[in-house]
Amino acid sequence: MNEIIEKIRSEFFEAIKNVKSAADLEPIRIKFLGRKGLVSTSFDRIAELPKEQRPLFGKALNELKRELENAYQNLQGDFKKQQAKQVQLDLTLPGRKPFAGRKHPLLKVADEIKQIFVSLGFTIEDGPEVETDFYNFEALNIPKTHPARDMQDTLYITEDILLRTHTSPVQIRVMQRQKPPIQMIAPGRVYRRDTPDASHSPFFHQVEGLVVDKGITFADLKGVIQAFAHRMFGPDIKVRFRPSFFPFTEPSAEYDFTCVFCQGQGCRVCKNTGWMEISGAGMVHPNVFKAAGVDPEKYTGYAFGMGIDRIAMIKYAIDDIRIFFENDVRFLNQF
Amino acid sequence: MKVTYRWLKEFVDFKETPQEIANLLTEAGLEVEEIIPLVKPFDGVVVGKVLEVQKHPNADKLSVCKVQTNEETYQVICGAPNVAAGQFVPFAMVGARLPNGMKIKKAKIRGVESFGMICSKEELGLEHHSDGIWAFERELSLGEDVYSILKDEQDWIIDIAITPNRGDCLSVYGIAREVAALTGNPLKEITIDLKEQLPEKTADIIKINIHDADGCPRYAGRVIRNVKIGPSPGWMQKKLEAVGFRPINNIVDITNYVLAELGHPLHAFDLKQIKGQQINVRASKPGDLFVTLDDKERKLPENTVMICDAERPVAIGGIMGGQNSEVSDQTTDILLESAYFKPERIAMASKKLGLSTDASQRFERGADPENVIRAINYAAALMEQLAGAQVAKGIVDVYPQPLQQKKIPLNVEKINKILGTDFDQKTIRQKLESIQLKVEADQVIVPTFRHDLSLVEDLAEEVARLVNYSNLPAKKYTTTFYEMPVSELENRLQYFRNEMLSLGLQEIFTQSMVRRAEAQAFTEDEPLAIKNPVSDDMAVMRPSLFTGMLKAVSHNLNRNNKDLHFFEIGRIFGSFDGINLPDQPYSLGVVITGNRQLPGWNVPEQAVDFYDIKGYLETFLGKLFLDNYQIILYDKAGYMVKGQTIAVKIKEDLIGVCGKFTEEVCHAFEIEKEVFGFELNLDLLQKYLVFDRKYQPVPRFPYSERDVAFLVDKDVLAAEVVEFVQKNGGFLLKSVEIFDVYQGPNIPQGKRSLGLRLRYQSAERTLSDKEVDQYFQQIINKTIKHFSASLRN
Ligand SMILES: [Zn+2]
Repeated sequence: MNEIIEKIRSEFFEAIKNVKSAADLEPIRIKFLGRKGLVSTSFDRIAELPKEQRPLFGKALNELKRELENAYQNLQGDFKKQQAKQVQLDLTLPGRKPFAGRKHPLLKVADEIKQIFVSLGFTIEDGPEVETDFYNFEALNIPKTHPARDMQDTLYITEDILLRTHTSPVQIRVMQRQKPPIQMIAPGRVYRRDTPDASHSPFFHQVEGLVVDKGITFADLKGVIQAFAHRMFGPDIKVRFRPSFFPFTEPSAEYDFTCVFCQGQGCRVCKNTGWMEISGAGMVHPNVFKAAGVDPEKYTGYAFGMGIDRIAMIKYAIDDIRIFFENDVRFLNQF
Repeated sequence: MKVTYRWLKEFVDFKETPQEIANLLTEAGLEVEEIIPLVKPFDGVVVGKVLEVQKHPNADKLSVCKVQTNEETYQVICGAPNVAAGQFVPFAMVGARLPNGMKIKKAKIRGVESFGMICSKEELGLEHHSDGIWAFERELSLGEDVYSILKDEQDWIIDIAITPNRGDCLSVYGIAREVAALTGNPLKEITIDLKEQLPEKTADIIKINIHDADGCPRYAGRVIRNVKIGPSPGWMQKKLEAVGFRPINNIVDITNYVLAELGHPLHAFDLKQIKGQQINVRASKPGDLFVTLDDKERKLPENTVMICDAERPVAIGGIMGGQNSEVSDQTTDILLESAYFKPERIAMASKKLGLSTDASQRFERGADPENVIRAINYAAALMEQLAGAQVAKGIVDVYPQPLQQKKIPLNVEKINKILGTDFDQKTIRQKLESIQLKVEADQVIVPTFRHDLSLVEDLAEEVARLVNYSNLPAKKYTTTFYEMPVSELENRLQYFRNEMLSLGLQEIFTQSMVRRAEAQAFTEDEPLAIKNPVSDDMAVMRPSLFTGMLKAVSHNLNRNNKDLHFFEIGRIFGSFDGINLPDQPYSLGVVITGNRQLPGWNVPEQAVDFYDIKGYLETFLGKLFLDNYQIILYDKAGYMVKGQTIAVKIKEDLIGVCGKFTEEVCHAFEIEKEVFGFELNLDLLQKYLVFDRKYQPVPRFPYSERDVAFLVDKDVLAAEVVEFVQKNGGFLLKSVEIFDVYQGPNIPQGKRSLGLRLRYQSAERTLSDKEVDQYFQQIINKTIKHFSASLRN
């Protein structure tokens, strides 16, 4: 029996002497170590032996199997290493690139603004872009003959239907359907009859804010704008409130942020004032509450607006608003 | 609104610099846009004396002058006719810099050397046009710096943006009132020294009847005779020019001066043209026509306040005078009008006429009815002084129902509640009184010039701006734990958007106002038209996102940006039924062109085709886990190629269209490449989203796959075969996939081969080969029979 084992062993080692590649190795593996190979079939012959010799032969066969397998694996490992060396990759070649999904820069900034307000506990509301005169003007305390109508040159569909000139109509829509407390923002597109140039577009984007509850004061408004400024542009940004006029707020304010280009030192962008005008705000006018069915004796509230385009232009130092809407991929790829 | 620093000082003694005044005004809500010095900086110009003037040897109009400074005598060429020996002149030496940026250099003019320049006022930026050099009226010390001399007379134009509620600040006096309050100084009265030298009484010369007291609550007139029309004095012209009025003649300049200083518009009629010695104020009737001062015949809107004489209209009240009664060079006698018109009536008329004037702007923002008398007396006095005129005795002042001063309860608690402050009554009272509001008991009496104050909220703003907004408290923001409704629409839009981004598409953002022709390509309905569009390029609202998206494609292709895979989410607009707001759903658009993948050294160029856009569509819909959508063949989208268009349908709703854009559409956008796209109505789509999905157990037992290739008629659609197999393949058949489509050599004419991969699986056990083979053979047989197909060898 030992002769059989010895024969298999010597044949195997003789065979692998001449092997030069992994491919040459495979028939040898099949011949000796395969399912129907010499080692396996030798186990079948155990039955031919007398009972007392069987365990010994079985043990010897198992040892042989292990020995051959080790030898085979070592050799195979060597071939793999060799192969790896031969098929060396030039790792400096570029990879295959899928198209990358990217957000439009303006909407990316809108996302940032929304996230800030959501983190401050605001909900996000929406309203139609084609609006009625009632929601865009009348309910906001801007009757037909009010000179404030001239502040915003309006695009009309009919005498009573128009393209909203601000996101403020959403204030009315929300107050009509929801009882205070209200704490919302409404981002969206607005329209004005402006000739396009570097700083004007006949359509642009605003975020409206509205908070209504018992005991809301101007101090709350200052606080929330400050919190926004710090999160959007950093903790060193200061906020300045100036009196202004909007028919739908009283008192009304315009608010400025420290110029981010000169840190308030004064530069060309801020016309040496150190401040960047952001937008308007104020305490909700009692006539607006009345038009929306909220009791002005019971509730107070503040409202604010801000231009998404303006904030994006400040953030990315863009000096021509029209570039947002050209959608040139060489521009879009920068964000 | 422009005022000057020195003009303000005529009414308030303050010490603040122009910049400090500007800051105070801005912080009080009167935003100063610009401070412009009247004398612009220059240097190197000194006082010189002209010693001698000789004719230039080679030029008739030039002189060779000798100019002496404190140090030296220079030879200077001068072209001005008025240069003469003995004059003291502003002399710009070599190296001087003039206000317009010009630098003086040594020059040779027609062969004669010139060392400097004798300046005119124009060259020093002191007037728009000069006819000659500026000879000083008095002797000055030679060599003195001219800019330093002028600086003592320096004045600054302060340009202020006045918000529409502050009609009271549309004058120098109105601004001075604010400056007085902000600097804590008293406000001086305007001194009016009127003599009324004529023996006649105004009331005997003119009668005034108001038939439209709603539109014109007050109308006053004065008669001024023996007017000598001529230029107004230099000081008046200079002030008028500084605040933006062009000097015309003494009478016009005086009314403009009163307008600028007091804010009250006046109108001067040629008295001889007023028929019947009377003025009648009445509302216009439909169809009335009138020729205004600017020689334009205008159709009057109904209910316009008209000023008429005994026979005809002579002016549009509060807006513009008439040509028939205009003051001319021959005018000697004047009827001066000072009136108060109701703001709403003027606003309406001005808007409908499309005519906005200095007068209408003031009246529609609210003039002061109490200024009617002050203004007319002031102007009459100035006409006595500056136009040699005589004024008749007395005023005709018709004011049937004097406007009452408004009263607002002084609610200190409410003011503090609005501002988040705790001011006491004394502080609030002091602030209100500083802008001439009267406080009596618990009432605030509002003067007639403040039309904007009527509520306690208005008083809160006055207090706030006088305290300065910066001094108001800011409450540190703490999140208020309101239970707010979920932002449902926003969440869904973001969900759609994030799924698109994850597919690797670039988000774009395009305009929603488009050309009519562009819109018409994508809708059979009438696009939603804008009545007063900015331009033809933005005439209607987009009925589809494709309008802007194809424009973006075109823009990029023109710049050689070739591989474009875009998506956009935005509103599109339905047509208008004449009554209701049009439908304006959110829409999702995708357009692709160029290569399927970014080409590279190991990625060959491969242009996108129909199956790329369909793949985006299927993957997107698949990500939404809509199990009930259908893709149907579609041929009703005129902008897409027939036979390359499909549509998405859920129940009865057509959600959107997907396919290849026609050549005509591409041409219309100047695109020469093939472009594919789809657009889905998100308002419809979101109805079918299922948010409370439960998980399905992952199969525990292995699947078995079998492949088969059928030869079918080439008209048989792949989806028909797949559907048939799916339906009839037995309950263990889990999925059917097309792995190969072939048509060509080795396939009979008119046939094509469809390779299907069928997957069998059971949730309970491992399937045996035998039973899978059995089901597989059954479905093969059924399919062959149903489609008259055969097996491909
Ligand atoms: Zn700056």
